[in-house]
Parts: sequence; C-alpha cells; structure tokens
Amino acid sequence: MEVRKERIVAYCLGIILLVIGIVSYAAFPERSPEEPIRIILKSAAGNVLLDMKEHSSEAGYGYECVDCHHEVEEPDERPTLCRECHLLDKDESEAEINTEDAFHQICITCHEEDGMAPVDCETCHHMG
Amino acid sequence: MSNRKLFVSSHAPYWHSRRSISGRSYHIMLAALPALVMGFYHYGAQAIGLVALSMSSAIIWEFLMNVLMKRPTTIGDGNAAVIGLLLAMLLPATTPWWAILVGTFMAVVVGKQIFGGLGCNPLNPSLVALAILLLSWESLLDFDTRLVNYDLPFHMAYPLTALKNFGVSVIPNYSLFGLFMGQQSGGIGTAFGLGLIIGGLYLIWRGHIRWEISLSFLAGLFLTALLFNVSDPGSYANPVFHLLTGYTLIGAFFLATEDSSSPVNFIPMIIYGASAGILTVLIRNIGAFEDGVVLAILMLNVANPILDKIRPKAMGRGMEHA
Repeated sequence: MEVRKERIVAYCLGIILLVIGIVSYAAFPERSPEEPIRIILKSAAGNVLLDMKEHSSEAGYGYECVDCHHEVEEPDERPTLCRECHLLDKDESEAEINTEDAFHQICITCHEEDGMAPVDCETCHHMG
Repeated sequence: MSNRKLFVSSHAPYWHSRRSISGRSYHIMLAALPALVMGFYHYGAQAIGLVALSMSSAIIWEFLMNVLMKRPTTIGDGNAAVIGLLLAMLLPATTPWWAILVGTFMAVVVGKQIFGGLGCNPLNPSLVALAILLLSWESLLDFDTRLVNYDLPFHMAYPLTALKNFGVSVIPNYSLFGLFMGQQSGGIGTAFGLGLIIGGLYLIWRGHIRWEISLSFLAGLFLTALLFNVSDPGSYANPVFHLLTGYTLIGAFFLATEDSSSPVNFIPMIIYGASAGILTVLIRNIGAFEDGVVLAILMLNVANPILDKIRPKAMGRGMEHA
C-alpha cells in the first residue's frame, strides 16, 4: 500500500472509531441494575465482595430481601440501603449500631445458623 | 586478509517483499480479533465503545504529536492504532472515557513519541500507560469493583484477586477449561485463552512475532509456578492456573513481543522471555501486586539493551588503519 493510501485508511479508521466510541459511551453509560448483582463493601480490614444475587436467587441461597433489609415492610418495597441508617460513625448513626457492626451481626449470625457458611474473617475479607 | 567473501549482494533491480509496517499492524489487529470478540460478547456495547475510543484517541494523539513536532504524519503505519487496541484489551469494560484519553496519551506521547517514534521506544507503550494508570488510579484496574454490575454465567470474582486474598482455596471455583474458554472476568481482551493462543500462533506463523520470546515467557512462568506449587501446594496455585489467568497469554503473544522493546538475538530473546515469566510469578506469589505481567515485562524492557549485548561474534578480523 502506498504511504498516501495508508494515511487515508488511518484517517478513516480514526474518524469512524471516534464516532463509534463517542456514540457508545453516550448511548450506553454504565447503569446499575435494579437489583444489585454483587456489591463491594469497603473495609479497612479488607474489602468484601458480596454476591447479592447468589444470596437472593432461588438457585442460590434463596433468602428474601427482608431477611437482611429488616426495614422492608411490603414485598415490592425497595429496600433501604444499609448505610442510610447504619452510618460509619456510631455516634452519628440513628440506628443502634454502625455499618461495620451491622454487617458483622447480620452476616455472622446468619452464617452461624446455617452451619455450613464461613464465619472466619479471612473467608470474606480481602486480606492479601 | 583472506579473500573469502563475507557478504555478497547483487545489483538492482530488487524485488520488494510486499511487507510493510502497516501490514504488520493490521495483522496484529486481526490476530487480536478472536480474543476481542469474546470480550464484546461478554461486555457488549461498552467494550466496543472502549476499544473504538482507545484506538481513535491513540491515532489522534499521534497525529497531534506529528503536527506539533513538525514531523511527517506517521499514523498510516497503524502502530498508534495497535497501541490503543492493546491498551483497551487490558482494561475492564467500564473504564471511564477520561481514563482512556489519559492512557492513550501516556502510551503514544510518553511511551513512544518523546523517544522518537516508531522503533525508538525503549518500553512497550501500552504497558507504560497501563502501569501509570495502575499506580495513579488503582481502582481503575480493580476488576471486581469495575465489573460489579455484570451478570455473566460464570464465577465473576477476578481469579488473581481471589488467589491473592484468599489463597488456593478459591481455585475449585474455576474450571481450567472454563478459564481457557474465557469464562473469567478481566480485561476485554485478556480472558479468552484459546483466542489469544490462536492469535499468537497466527502472528508467529506470519513471522510478525518471535516464538522464542512467547515460548520462553510461558516456559519461565510455568516452571517457576510449578516450583512454588511443588514446594508448598497449600499456599501456591498450580502452574496451569497461572498460565490461564490474568495477563499471561496476552503478555506472551502481544506484549512481550513488541519489537522495539524486545531483543533480536536468540539467547537474549530466551533470557528476556524466561526472566519476564519468572518475575511474573515472583510478583504474583510473593510480591504486592496481583498480576506481575505488566511490571515484569517493563522491567525486562529496561534490561533489553544489556541483553542485546549478547550477540554472535562478528565474522572477519578488525584492522586498524584499514
């Protein structure tokens, strides 16, 4: 291919890809699904990757939303986020316990009742 | 001096081999296609947009640098597009647009153009950009966080993050065949092992990359991982897991083989590839980072000029005042 033709191909490639890129970013922004699939719980002791779908689906552990989101009263009601009531700082929190304690309480209690689920720190917290 | 002929050349006319730099670039893009298609299948329009934006912005940065430096326009050789493509393949599908622009700027301008352009870059430009992004915005390369909203039909925890944090107990969550067939989270073009191997073998067959580098990289990585695994199977993953996860296969076939930053002679190529493979496992197993491919190849890029000092002895005899 001649140098001039190569350059024309590159110009065309650059323009076409730029249009595709801009259109894709504008038309398909990152959207959070209606029901979270997985969430990352940030923690100084190591983040926790919580697989919400596995916990809530029938094929998984089959828990209801209300099993963890205890504020939910109606089946179709959108659950309140944990950190909306259980703040990081216990003193500023409306709830009796802060975020960390809330998660520990609900996760560990449930895992202990299950008998099969892990209860040690390093199975959930990224401690690498 | 003996009359033995050392170099024989014939007169013109010559026959052009029809090979060109642009041809090489387009062959690399073609070879990357199988792995990319799997990425597009998994991550959809966001992945297509990321790759398109990365390639186009790399071309634009190169064009702007050509204009600013009053140099001939070099975007026609396709190298900028390849740099953009390889960078995009390493990133998660949800990478924001500004990170792409910063990444391609770092790759094309800092990684390549300021050294003089094509063939003058001492480091792989795509890896320079990725290392800068990794060290500047660590969360951009946190695949678990970036891909948290994707629901794909396989275990979505990034294998190397899981291995680093939870040890070998996570390995049963992944099937080795599944990993080979792309059933793992990660960069857009890094998950599909079979596609990367097909692309790599195509490039080796066409003579665009050197098999010595790819093979020695994989052998170095495999043997080192095997030694770790044999010494303590309870702490270190098996070598096949290392081979099929992270940036291993894209590193072996598309990154370590970048021509300007890798050696040209046989023994240096073997040392270069094997050392990068060994260093990758050392970083993964006892280092701070989950994946060592990026930093290992960059380290060996730095060592490349020294390695290339190992070369065949020149024929003939030196003569003073010749």
